[in-house]
This record gives sequence, C-alpha cells and structure tokens, in this order.
Amino acid sequence: MTGPPQTTFPSVRRSLAMGLMLLAFALIPAKAASADNEGAMISWGHTIAMQGNGLPGNTACAECHRINGGGMPSVGIPRIAGQTETYIYREIRGVQKGTRFSPYMDRIVLNLSKRDIHAVALYYSTVRTPKLHDPAEFDPSLATLGRRIAHRGLWERNIPACIICHGQDGRGIPPNFPYIAGQSKTYLLGQLFSFAVIKRKDDPEGLMRGIASRLTNREIKAVAQYFASLEPPVYGPIPVKNRPDRLRLIPHKETPSP
Amino acid sequence: MIPPPLALPLLSLLTGLLLFFPPGAVASGTRNFQFFAPPTEGTLPNGPLGRLIRQGELIFIHTGQFAHRYVGNDLTCESCHLDRGIKPYSAPLWGAYGIYPRYRKKNHTVSTLEERIQGCFRFSLNGTPPPLGGRTMKALLAYSFWVSRGAPVGLYLKGQGLRHMSKPAEPPSRLRGKRVFESRCSLCHGLDGQGTQADNNQVAFPPVWGPRSFNKGAGFYNVGKLAGFIKMNMPLSKGQTLSDQQAWDVAAYIDSQPRPEDPRKAGGKHS
Repeated sequence: MTGPPQTTFPSVRRSLAMGLMLLAFALIPAKAASADNEGAMISWGHTIAMQGNGLPGNTACAECHRINGGGMPSVGIPRIAGQTETYIYREIRGVQKGTRFSPYMDRIVLNLSKRDIHAVALYYSTVRTPKLHDPAEFDPSLATLGRRIAHRGLWERNIPACIICHGQDGRGIPPNFPYIAGQSKTYLLGQLFSFAVIKRKDDPEGLMRGIASRLTNREIKAVAQYFASLEPPVYGPIPVKNRPDRLRLIPHKETPSP
Repeated sequence: MIPPPLALPLLSLLTGLLLFFPPGAVASGTRNFQFFAPPTEGTLPNGPLGRLIRQGELIFIHTGQFAHRYVGNDLTCESCHLDRGIKPYSAPLWGAYGIYPRYRKKNHTVSTLEERIQGCFRFSLNGTPPPLGGRTMKALLAYSFWVSRGAPVGLYLKGQGLRHMSKPAEPPSRLRGKRVFESRCSLCHGLDGQGTQADNNQVAFPPVWGPRSFNKGAGFYNVGKLAGFIKMNMPLSKGQTLSDQQAWDVAAYIDSQPRPEDPRKAGGKHS
C-alpha cells in the first residue's frame, strides 16, 4: 500500500529540485548576459558598419552613412546617428522587403540576418555626430510657407502640422516617428516625392503617402528646406511609456528580447 | 482685331485653358470654400486685445502648460478641436461662437459660451472650471471671437459640432472595436490606450481612457458623438477612411474602458 508513493514521491521531488536548479542556472547567466550581450551586439553592429558582415554584396554601411551616422547631405544619404533602434531596424527590413524604395541599398542589405540588422540598428542608435554641412541652396521665399506647414499644417487639404507626429521642432517621437530635423534637404525632398508617387510604401497607415500626395511641389520644397535648416536632436533615454510592444510598429515577433 | 484664320485656334486654346484651370481654382488657391474659414492669420491687432487673443491661442494648444490650474489630465483643447479649433467636424470654435446662448439638454438650462467652455474643463479636461471673467476665460473667449470673425450669428454652419452619426447597421460591438483599435489606432494611442510621450516627457498623443483621459461626464463618453469625431478625423489626416460601423465599434470599445467618474455623480451630490 505504502510502497508506490514512497518510491515515486522522492523521485518527483528530486526531479522537481533538479528542474528548479536547472532553471536557476539557466536564468542567472541570462540575466548577467543581457548587458554583456548588448555590448557584443553593438560591437558586431560596428563591425558590420565598418566592413559588412562578410557575405556577398554586403558592403560597409559607413561607405554612405559614415561610421558616425552623419550621412552625405550633398547626395541625400540620410543621417541615421541617434535614430532609434526600432526605427532603423524597421527601415532596413523595409528595404529588404521592398516596401521602402531604395535602389542602392536593397542589394546591400539582402544578406543581413535579423540579428545583424538588430546589431547594426543598435550600433547606429548609440552613435552621435554633429550636423554636417548641407550644400543644398536655401530659398528665402519659401521660408514662411515651410514654417507654416511644419507648425500649422494645411488642414483645408487634410494635412496636419508635421510637428504633431514628428515632434516639437521635428525631433521625432521615439521610437516610431523618426526625427527629421537636421536631415539634408535633398534627402527630405527625395522621400517626400517618393511617398507622393507611392514608390515608398512602408509608412504605417499610409499616413505619409496620403500627406505627401496632397502637397504641391512648391510646398514639398518649402517644408523639406525648413526641417533641413534645424538642428538634429540628441535623445536621452526613450520614455518608458513608449515601449515598442505597446505602440506596435514592427511585428511583435521581431522585437528584440530585452 | 484678330485675323479670322487665327481666331478659331485661339478660342479653342482659351476654352482648353479654362477647362484645365477653372477660374475658381485659380482664385481660391488652397482655400476650401465648402466650409467657413476665418480670415487669414498673422493679422492680430496690436495692443491688449491682440495679446489676449494670442494668450488664448496658447492656452488652446498647450492647455496643461498655460492653464494648468484648471486641467486634470493629459488632454488639451486641441485634442478634440483640431487645427486650433478651426477644422470642420471637430467642434470648431466658429461653429459654436454664433449659436450661444443655447438651451442644453445636458443640464436643462440655457448656457452661455463661457459656461460651455467651463464644461469642457470640468468634463473633457477632468479639471476645475476657470472662473467667469478670469484671465483664462477672457483669453479663450477672445481667441474664439478671433477665429469666428465673419461667421453669422444664430445659424448652424456646415461643419459645426461633430458629424451626426445615424444608427449603424449592427449594434456597436466592443469586440470588433478592439480589433479596429489595435490595428489602426495603437500606433499613436498604444494598445492600452494610454497615448505616447515625447522624449522631453510632454504628451505627444493623448490617452483615450484611463486616469489621464476625459471623464464620464464628457461629450465623448457618448458613443455616437465619439463615433462622429472618429469617423471624420481619425486616424489623423485619414478621416473618413473608417466605415460608419467601424467608427461606432471603436467608439464603443473606447467608451467601455475605465476612466474617471462623472464629477456630478462621483461625490453623490451636486456641485
């Protein structure tokens, strides 16, 4: 009668204890590794930025975006320094999938794995660089119009003020809405036109496609010039409230584990 | 005189031009003549009135900053009255200015515009009403006056208030609303409806329920009114892309979530 319980009970207990111990061993290094891991990811990201990940076609990001993420204002290569990790990750994935129109970059990022993209996004989100000189000409006759669209919008055509989503002075609302202040005029013009003719189609809800297609060419020039004239922001810690999983922009499965 | 052989081509050219650029479009530029619009900005009068109007505008945009004593949550006037109180179908100021004093079923009395504004503070902003004749109220009245110049008194203008929504085909469903909210609204308002913060810790997109949102006495606690607002204005810049049914559903979902009590009922007595 008492046989079976006596034999099974200790074995259950032993396996339970073993399980707990294993769990503890599994958990402790994972906790300790997460900070370590981030450092390793950043340095892997730095390697990719410097020389690519070693696979065919993948050249260094730094060739165009520079190692400090300042971009090339003269030819409209965007500044990516200090843009959020979530946003950079999403944009590279967009280029891979073809939703973000980028005829040069699409071949370069083809061989990046999701882990590579996380690493390089993390790296560029941590670098800082001053605004580089933008050689595009400044047309003073468009200054008032650009400022007006940025701060008031053109609501009679359902165009909200840019700063509602791109933040005070275009500093972005991290992590989903990128900063646009201090980007080059050539880049901003290119993206607005690209949205307007529906070549770039990675904007959530089609918000930018709608807005850009309702702007006239003159207004696009004015607003691109306005934000190009501002200083890019430097983010402190991103508000806890804006966790990417709350504000679903990239698929939940692809958000990096903390 | 134009020589006869040239007259026909010239005439056809002119009609062609007129067809492509109708005179109205050329003259109006970007102005939408479907709705009332206040005269162009940038012409504030000098002196005390101009300053008061400007202060009213600032209170309107940054209510928590310039009227913080009277605000109890994360919303501003502009959260509901888009484009600084000018956009049609988002309860524009020019639509309200001319129709007060008005009998309101909400409290069974005739309200003045000042009393109506006090209601906004008490319910939608979940705060305390600014006193009649105080600086805050005066500034808001001055600003309302400024954006209503030229609007007729005593007439209901097209685009005033919110869009009236007729009953939907199916009764509004919170469950369907939840799905709409999560796919189309959560980018800015968050899956939990608590809004987004800017990196300088100011409110970027307002919470739509919870302790920092409008209370149960607010107009938007009425599902039909909220649906009318959502239908015409949400997602921002993409108004009228949700179907009527979706607008009803998502409004029902939002209004089914927890939020501060109606201050008229919370204490169990009138105040």
